[in-house]
Amino acid sequence: MKRNRIITRRDFLRGTVYTAFATSMGLSPPVKREAKAEEKVKVILVRDEKVIDPQGHINPEIIQKMLDQGVSSLLGEENPFQAWKKLIRPTDVVGIKSNVWNPLPTPKELETAIEKRVLEMGVPKENISIDDRGVLNNKVFLSSTALINAHPLRTHHWSGIGGCIKNYIMFVSTPWLYHLDACAALASIWNKPVVKGKTRLNILSLIRTQFYGRGSHFFDRRYVSDYKGLLIGKDPVALDAVGAHLLQLQRIGYFGEDRPLDTTPKHIFVADQKYKLGVSDLRQIEVVKLGWMESSLI
Amino acid sequence: MELKKRVVIFLIFLLATELAIGGAAVFSGDRDGMKMEMKKLIPLKIGSYQSDGKDEFYDRKTTFRYMDGAAELYRSYEFKLLMIRHYAKADHPPIVVEAFDMGSSEDAFGIFSYEAEDEEVGVGQGSESGGGLLRFWKGKFFVNVYAEQEDSLTKKDFLELGRAMADSIKQEGRKPKLINYLPKERLIERSIRYFHHSHILNHHYFLSHENILRLDIRTNALLASYSFQKEEKNFLMLIQYPSHTLAKAGLQNFVKAYMPESSSSRVIKTENGKWTAAQFYKSYVIIIFDAVSREKAEAFIQATQKNLEDKKS
Repeated sequence: MKRNRIITRRDFLRGTVYTAFATSMGLSPPVKREAKAEEKVKVILVRDEKVIDPQGHINPEIIQKMLDQGVSSLLGEENPFQAWKKLIRPTDVVGIKSNVWNPLPTPKELETAIEKRVLEMGVPKENISIDDRGVLNNKVFLSSTALINAHPLRTHHWSGIGGCIKNYIMFVSTPWLYHLDACAALASIWNKPVVKGKTRLNILSLIRTQFYGRGSHFFDRRYVSDYKGLLIGKDPVALDAVGAHLLQLQRIGYFGEDRPLDTTPKHIFVADQKYKLGVSDLRQIEVVKLGWMESSLI
Repeated sequence: MELKKRVVIFLIFLLATELAIGGAAVFSGDRDGMKMEMKKLIPLKIGSYQSDGKDEFYDRKTTFRYMDGAAELYRSYEFKLLMIRHYAKADHPPIVVEAFDMGSSEDAFGIFSYEAEDEEVGVGQGSESGGGLLRFWKGKFFVNVYAEQEDSLTKKDFLELGRAMADSIKQEGRKPKLINYLPKERLIERSIRYFHHSHILNHHYFLSHENILRLDIRTNALLASYSFQKEEKNFLMLIQYPSHTLAKAGLQNFVKAYMPESSSSRVIKTENGKWTAAQFYKSYVIIIFDAVSREKAEAFIQATQKNLEDKKS
C-alpha cells in the first residue's frame, strides 16, 4: 500500500503530482468524466466596471445590484426577492460570516447588501449578525440556522489562497492547528456541528483580489487587482477552485510567468476528494458570466 | 493521517520549539523589561509625526490575535515581542510601525531576507521600500512601516521616517555566520534566505510537502541563487545541524526521499535535465539544485566545503 508517499519537487517535474497527492492521501486518481452540461456545478461571475469609483470607493448601489443579479441567476429567478426567498426563511437565524483582515476585508458594502436582503426576507434584525473572529462567542452564530459565507479572494501564506473554504477557520478555537500541510484539513471544519449543513450561499468577493504575496500579513498593493467582480455559488469548493485559477491567470498577466504561491492550495483539492465538500475540477464547473467582462481572464 | 494525530504531533512540535528556543516562556518581569526596551527603541516624535501613546504588544503566544496565521512565519524564527505604534500628524493619515524583537540579529536578518526582493534603500542594516511600505532590519530588530491610507506617503517620506527610526536603534548586529561559507562568484546577494524550518524553504524553493531534511528551530539554513548566462540559475543550500550525527541523518533522509537512485556520489540528473548534488561535512549539509552539469554541481559542493575548511567552521 502506497499511503503517505512523500511528494517532492521531482513529482512536479515529472508531472505526476496529482497522482502523488491522491496516493499520499489514500485516494484514487481522478476519473475522467464526460463533461455533460447538466452535471456541472454552476457559479456566477458578475462584474461591473463602475463598482469602484475613481477615488477607489466601492459603490453600494452597484454592489447591491451585482449581488442581486448573481443570486437571481444562480437560483434561476428573475426577481431577486424571489431568489432570496429560496435561500432564507423569516424564521431563520442568520450568521453572515465575513472577514475582517484589515488590508483586504470583505467589503462593508457587500455585508450591508447581504444583510439588507436577509432583512427583507422577514428575519428580525436581532436574528442577524455579521462577524468574523468572534463567531464562537456570538449568540446568533451559535444558534444560527443559516449561514452566508462572504470572503475576499487573495493569496494566503499557509493555504495558498484564502477563499470560501478557509473562511470557516474561525469556527474552531485553535485555528493555527489547521495550518499543517498547507491547511489540507480545512474542509473538515465544515463538518462541525456549528456549521454543518447551514451554509445557504457562498460569495467570493473579487472586487479587489490579491494575486501574489510574499508571505507576511502585509497587503502589497503592487499585487492587488481591481477586478470588480463577485463570484457567487452554493459550492464553496467550486468557487475557490475558480478563484485559485483566476489568481494564477492574474499572476501570469502581471509577471509574464506563473510565479508559485507560498504553498500549493491543495486544501481545495482535498476538500473535494477527501471531505466531499464540493467540486474542484474546473472541467466540472460552469462559470456563468454576467455584466462587464473586459479582461475577465476566465 | 487523521487530524487528531496531526494535532498531537503539532502540539508536541510547538512545545519542543518553545523549549528549544528557551525564550518563549518569557517571564513577566523579563517581558516588562523587553516592553520598556521596545518603547524606548523608537522615538515618540519623528519629525512632525507624534505617537498616539497607545502602543500594543504581542508575544509569541498572542501574536495570532494581531496577524492570524501569518504569525507562524515569525514564530518559525526566535521572535520574542512585537510592538505596534501608531503615529499621527495633522491632516495626514496615521502611520503604523511594527517593530519585532527577533531575539537575535541573525533572525532579524532572516525575517527580512524572507521577503527581500526590491533594491536596497539604505535604511538600517538592510532595507527595501515598495508597495506602500518600508521594511528594514538593524541589530535584533525587524521593522515594518506603512501608512494606513494608500499613497499618502512618498518614498522620500518613508525613507526619512525609516532613517530616523533606524538611527535610534544604536546597536548593530551581525548577519548569519553561514553566509561567510557561500562561494562568492556569481552569487546574487539579494537572493540569500536564512531560516530554520522546512516550510520557509518551501516558500522559496518547494522541495517536498514533508520535512525531508529534518529542519527545525535548531538548524540554521541558507538558500542562495547563483546566476549564469542565458538566465541560467542554480541554487545552493547550506544547512548547519546541531551535530555531525544529525547532519548525517538529515542528508540520508533527504537522499532517500529526493534522490533514491543516486549512488554513493550523491549526484543525480533530475527530470528538468539539471543536476542535484548533496554532501555533508562535519555538522553541515551542502546541496546544489538545478546545476547545468554534473561538473558544475560538484564544483559548487567543493567550493563550499573548502570555505568551511578554510574558515574553520
